[in-house]
Amino acid sequence: MNPTLVRLASHALLGRRRGLVLLAVPVVLVLLSVMMRLLTSEGVGQEAVLNLGYTLALPLVALLAASAVLGPEVDDGSIVHLLAKPVNRHVVAFSKFVVAWTAALVLGALPLTLCSFVMDASDPEQALAWGVGGAVAATAYTGLFMALAALTRHAVVVGLLVVLLWEGLLGNLFTGVRWVSLGTWGRDVAHALDEALYDPGVGLGYALGAAAVLATGAVWLAGDRLRSFTLRGDE
Amino acid sequence: MTASGTPSRGVIHDLGYRPYQGPRLGEGAIARALVVTGLRNAFGLGRSGKSKVLPFVLLAFNLLPAVVVAGILVFVGLEELPIGYARYASTTQVLLGIFVAAQAPVLFSRDLRHGSITLYLARPLRAGTYALARAGSLLLATLVFLLSPVLILYVVALLGELDVVEQTKDAALAVVLALLLALSLTGVAGLIAACSTRRGFAVVGTIAVLLVGNGLVSAVQSVASFEGADGVGEVAGLFTPYSLYRGLLDAWVEGGGVTPPSGVGMEVAYVLVLVGLSAACLAGLVVRYRRVAGR
Repeated sequence: MNPTLVRLASHALLGRRRGLVLLAVPVVLVLLSVMMRLLTSEGVGQEAVLNLGYTLALPLVALLAASAVLGPEVDDGSIVHLLAKPVNRHVVAFSKFVVAWTAALVLGALPLTLCSFVMDASDPEQALAWGVGGAVAATAYTGLFMALAALTRHAVVVGLLVVLLWEGLLGNLFTGVRWVSLGTWGRDVAHALDEALYDPGVGLGYALGAAAVLATGAVWLAGDRLRSFTLRGDE
Repeated sequence: MTASGTPSRGVIHDLGYRPYQGPRLGEGAIARALVVTGLRNAFGLGRSGKSKVLPFVLLAFNLLPAVVVAGILVFVGLEELPIGYARYASTTQVLLGIFVAAQAPVLFSRDLRHGSITLYLARPLRAGTYALARAGSLLLATLVFLLSPVLILYVVALLGELDVVEQTKDAALAVVLALLLALSLTGVAGLIAACSTRRGFAVVGTIAVLLVGNGLVSAVQSVASFEGADGVGEVAGLFTPYSLYRGLLDAWVEGGGVTPPSGVGMEVAYVLVLVGLSAACLAGLVVRYRRVAGR
């Protein structure tokens, strides 16, 4: 990990308006849960809000973070200045991953814990389970989106297709998708911590292993793609 | 602009070539050409092969259920369509959202980012007209996306000899609803794309506004319905394009649904908000491009 790269990547992530939008999604989610808690009784609507946060807000934050640390540089070609420096490309990829991953944990997984706790303070265990499950999913998502950003210019759209079509639409239609869906791995971890939560039934060991393998592999792939990087013109 | 075509005296370098003296088309013709080019570009026509992939893949996904329904209708011989014309767009709203979000930057961001906007504005084309022409392209592209499955379903329904009057009425209502939805989506996506010249950022921003917003509204509506406070759900439905569309769909076409707008007043409010949202976004676009042109 390279401290200078981390600093630059966090500037790219939080600088200007991007940081605001990144913040807006979790803030709105937490505000909604506070509002619901104030207007209704404990636990009402908790599942709806957390499902929304887990299946939509978390992947979007991870996608925005992962594409923000790598996407714009690849887009306008300024990444050649970075790649011209004598820094291992895998270190470049890993440093950027760490920044995006931190953002996804703080702005994607932590709000889940907050929401769950706000809406049902009597069950801190469940709040923790959502947070840990969210963290596992955030790790896998960030890795995948990083690799996509290094692979293609259309990383954001491909990432959206993965989240919304593959995991959302097809995941609901074909139960087999759960084995290769990042979201269900996190859910399985959450279920292992709190029995009350939905059990996708892929097994804790598989879920953790798959998430770890995917994240490691993806970061390595991103580094490898940066190693043999070719600049292309705008389409 | 030298509308008369008379060459001015202050020539730096005159090789003696004959200048163009034929008729020159005005702003309207330029705007029309821009709309057509924009519509083609939104589907990747006239651009590189790679940029055709995404819009056509999305369009194919969007048409797939309609084709399947058509097949079922033909082979099983149903008495009515298994999915309503207007319900279709609500079912495939994720695809629609991705399409609009991904193609809006193609029309709105690229000229701003690469500075080619100055070339457009060097023509007798005002910034506001440029913005509206671009929005028109996106609107037409969205309508193509929204209405082609309706058309397939309608043709199949007629060929399957379902009741013509009833089908035509339903399809016409779906077209009206689709127009309202397309207008608001165009406005929202266009404004976000014009304000953020980074492509990926605009795409995620639009999706966040459309789908996360819709998710929030759905959550509020289901809780409101559960708590017996339908009024809250109806008001919550006013906040995002998809929930507005869904509300009108439930109220006008199918009945049922979670907290649909009850009463004429609320329905009018839903329509007004949809139209008002689109108008506000279009106005924002015009202002944005005027500011760019003034710089």
